[in-house]
Amino acid sequence: MLLSAQNVSKAFGSFLAVRGADLAVAEGEIIGLMGPNGAGKSTFFNCLAGDTVPTTGRVLFDGVDLTRSSAETHARAGIGRTFQVPATFEDMTVLDNVMVGAFLRHRHRADARETALRIIEMTGLARQNAQRARSLGTPGRKRLEIARVLATGPRLMLLDEALAGLTPTELQQAIALVRRIHELGVTLVIVEHIMEVIMTLAQRVLVFNQGHVIAHGKPREIVANEAVIEAYLGRGHRRRREAP
Amino acid sequence: MRWGLPALAALLLFYPFIFTGPFYWDIGVAFLLAAISASAWNIVGGYAGQVSVGHSMFFGVGAYTPLLFYHLWGLPPVAGVPAGMLVSLGLAVVIGMPTFRLRGHYFSMATIAVAELIRIFVGTWELVGAAIGLQGPAVGRAWWDLTFRSELPYYYIFLAVLAIVLYTTFAVERSRFGYYLRAIKAGERAARSLGVPVRETKLKARMLSAVFTSVAGSLYSIKTGFIDPESGFGILVSVQMVIVAALGGAGALFGPLIGALILVPLQTATNTWFGGGGSGLTYILYGGIIVLLARFEPGGMHEWWQRVAPFLTRRKHAA
Amino acid sequence: MLLAQVIVGGLLLGAIYALFSSGLTLIWGMMNFINFAHGEFVMLGMYVALLVVVWLGGGPEAFGFAAAFALFVLGVVVYLSLIRHVMRGPMLAQILSTFGLALLLRYTAFWIFSANFVSLPQVSLSGTLNIAGILMPVPQLVAGVAAIALTFALHLLLTRTTVGSKLLAVAEDRNAAMLMGIRPDRMQALAWGLAAGSAGIAGALMAVSYPWSPSVGETFGLTAFVVVTLGGFGSVPGAMYAGLIIGLIQALSAYWFGPIYKDIVVYALFVALLWLRPQGLMGKA
Repeated sequence: MLLSAQNVSKAFGSFLAVRGADLAVAEGEIIGLMGPNGAGKSTFFNCLAGDTVPTTGRVLFDGVDLTRSSAETHARAGIGRTFQVPATFEDMTVLDNVMVGAFLRHRHRADARETALRIIEMTGLARQNAQRARSLGTPGRKRLEIARVLATGPRLMLLDEALAGLTPTELQQAIALVRRIHELGVTLVIVEHIMEVIMTLAQRVLVFNQGHVIAHGKPREIVANEAVIEAYLGRGHRRRREAP
Repeated sequence: MRWGLPALAALLLFYPFIFTGPFYWDIGVAFLLAAISASAWNIVGGYAGQVSVGHSMFFGVGAYTPLLFYHLWGLPPVAGVPAGMLVSLGLAVVIGMPTFRLRGHYFSMATIAVAELIRIFVGTWELVGAAIGLQGPAVGRAWWDLTFRSELPYYYIFLAVLAIVLYTTFAVERSRFGYYLRAIKAGERAARSLGVPVRETKLKARMLSAVFTSVAGSLYSIKTGFIDPESGFGILVSVQMVIVAALGGAGALFGPLIGALILVPLQTATNTWFGGGGSGLTYILYGGIIVLLARFEPGGMHEWWQRVAPFLTRRKHAA
Repeated sequence: MLLAQVIVGGLLLGAIYALFSSGLTLIWGMMNFINFAHGEFVMLGMYVALLVVVWLGGGPEAFGFAAAFALFVLGVVVYLSLIRHVMRGPMLAQILSTFGLALLLRYTAFWIFSANFVSLPQVSLSGTLNIAGILMPVPQLVAGVAAIALTFALHLLLTRTTVGSKLLAVAEDRNAAMLMGIRPDRMQALAWGLAAGSAGIAGALMAVSYPWSPSVGETFGLTAFVVVTLGGFGSVPGAMYAGLIIGLIQALSAYWFGPIYKDIVVYALFVALLWLRPQGLMGKA
């Protein structure tokens, strides 16, 4: 198991955002994380990425206990993540943004630059190299975030709704990019609402609702799962589906 | 602007011979001092985005130690410069630790409070002259006392220090450390997620900035031969550093230089025109400039130029 | 008995600290913004009081009200013309904005009024009361009591009125407040008006008993920072308690260690707080 989350809970005061969530990801897998808004997916992600310390439970990466470690430590260990609302360095150029990521693995500017350029090429941002991140639209920013975290050379990437809000063409390009990243050997855990992404990319899917995992299995199984449908659409829809 | 840098260097180098006489040399020295302090501040305030308004604590330490070495042990003031740097370094670390968690306005407020505390404390400490302050050698005993009658030697010493500070900033800008500083300013949370060691980086930036600010303070007290709590640790010292850097462009290599270029002659002008009441008016002007800057062009002249320059060069090509 | 007197004196001054600090904490709690010109608002309140008494021959009610009103307007104007815009920008701009304002106000005051210390000519309140052996000058007593009453009134305004709940809603969650139909911009302008107004009236109250010059703004500003840090970011009741405590500590330090040390102890306390308990007595961590 590359990443293992055991009985992770996170409480904010009296509000339990995540309750006893488990996750086991083997190297090379692509796992999908689904669930309605407010189900606790992002909070769970934050626990996995070291942004928040879980109230209970453990997070193990490659056998190392990272539960109480900082986000920096997680990144150094090889866990990279993107943010639901892109957090690119607005006033820095695309190249500089990616270089910040690259500097995790390289000490010197020249090497970091080389890696950054290579990754920018791969993610299709080459023409906007010298532009400030602020001038890119949201899809551009999402792509930049992916490029930036890719430059850190992660073994596992947590993508938080990285493919949301894209046009159909952009979506296809993004899916292709994610595939290419996977081919490089990166393990992926992606949070998505878009069914197409989950169906085409994910090998296994976890569904969150109200802080815990309510379903777990292959994409096809999940889509037909009663509890999942109920979570997304509410009770009424379940009954409706049963009618001819 | 390939010719820009050599031209600037030449101008600075030959300035005392183009504009001769004590009046212009005085302005030149004041300009260099302002540029040095502001550049030192720029490292932590401009690049890392940690708006410290208490940098006078380092300036003051650097200003007091040389005169203290003279006052207590009769040593040439220059001997006190390294000690000032060391104490400032220590101070940066000690102050740095509790203030790491503080963000934004709260951090700035904390820096003001600490600087004020030090200022008042120094004002009560007999050993360092309390409210009266310290004086340097009235007449130089030898060349190493650095008590020159003319401004000229000071000019070139200050220029050399400025060159060192600018070069260091330039090297930092291009290094991993520099990228990390900018990342922290642009988004600490994202920076963390990329493995940037935020605490360590901030601390290093503060230490570097503190050391250079200390040197600026030393230069000041060696040249003027006098220091007291207000001129060393006063809040106006901190404010001037910030406004000079911000006016020219905080986070830009030559920002502080540009800021000093505008502000120092301005200050001299208002002081000359309005005589005694001049310094009051100068600060009214400062205040007004800062407010306008904050409201309309927070990126300073550097940012303004970057916005305007493309239009100017385009016109040139068209014509 | 002298000690009791020192204590009472400290508390009375502390009450005024509480009043002007409550405005600062309100803004901080609402907008995560520290007004570095807050001390200057107090200082201006003092001068408004002076002008009203000297030019218009007004009595205590008049100059108190004038100071409150004039500064209220100033606060709103400052918010609308400056603060509202810099809030959306970089941190450096936000900090510079009120810093620049402080310099502007302070040195303009120096220019207009000169650096000489002035005091309010004898007003209707005078004399000294002797309660249980403690001598309390009437002006200071009235000022202190008025200050506490006003601070409490501000607290009630915030917690018991509709307007107050709107202000608190914006402080709690700007977006949620917007969804409920509250205009954050208006509320923030109001908050600035209230903060400046309370600073102004605090200044007027202080003018009754203490001489001042334009330089006092800097000290008051720092005092307000200490009070707000001790009392907790955003908490008006916290500011009330903290103000009294700081006033007390200051008076005792002066009494035990000498006048020079009164500021040192307060600032040292401040630094210690920042290190050990930045959220203060009653603030949210």
